[in-house]
Amino acid sequence: MIDREQVRAEIAKFVKKPAAKVGDGVALMDLVQESFVLVELVIELQESFSVRFGQEDLSAVRSVGDLIDLVLNRRGT
Amino acid sequence: MPHPDLPLDEPLNENELWILSFYRTSEISGSLFFGKLARTLRPGPIQIDMTKHFADEAQHAWYWTECIRDLGAKPLKLADAYQDQYASTAGMPANLMEVLAITQIFERRVINQYTRHLKAPGLKPPIARTLEKIMQDELWHIDWVKKALESLEPEYGKETIEQTIERFRAADREVYANTMKEHEERLRALFGD
Repeated sequence: MIDREQVRAEIAKFVKKPAAKVGDGVALMDLVQESFVLVELVIELQESFSVRFGQEDLSAVRSVGDLIDLVLNRRGT
Repeated sequence: MPHPDLPLDEPLNENELWILSFYRTSEISGSLFFGKLARTLRPGPIQIDMTKHFADEAQHAWYWTECIRDLGAKPLKLADAYQDQYASTAGMPANLMEVLAITQIFERRVINQYTRHLKAPGLKPPIARTLEKIMQDELWHIDWVKKALESLEPEYGKETIEQTIERFRAADREVYANTMKEHEERLRALFGD
């Protein structure tokens, strides 16, 4: 069972920022700037939480909150 | 030290320096990307092969740096690598399978480009040697990625993998056409076609 804050902590660790700076409303592209870094983050989360995303899943993901929701949704939590 | 079989009065021309720097930039970008992914992946065959792939790309970047230096020049600082354009054309890869699919397409493009370069008129021996050396590794890259994609078929489905490869193949054609168009004059001067 994972919770929102665990996923946020993983994202924060990846972008090397405190979790408090990685709020749900923060745009992912403000956090990582380069699209290939975003690919790395997305794969990091899939590996860490044993989930799989498809491109259609990511098309609506814009913010940290969206990405956390996606992970939790895939985990069924 | 410059290579002994190259006359010192035959420096790289502007187009040659540009394309070798372009290759170098692309190898550096590939290396950095695969290195970070190799660090992320869970233990297993893909983690091992991706780590080797990362090391190869870093080595290739060195080969190009060395080749440029041996030909009496300094690498140009180029902002973007060829593969940086894939994400904006085909959407970013969403998972490991998609990363491998895009890698397979890119590696085939590299081999095609290096083969084309080997046939360029007046090719300097150090450039030919570097191309040949790198192409050996590139063949292994295509092989391991193909096997890795096959190993992912139970998880993602063969059809989905094939569709993904096709999507990135179409994107590569577009990126290649744009690159050719953008650098048409240089490439015509280099390859004589």
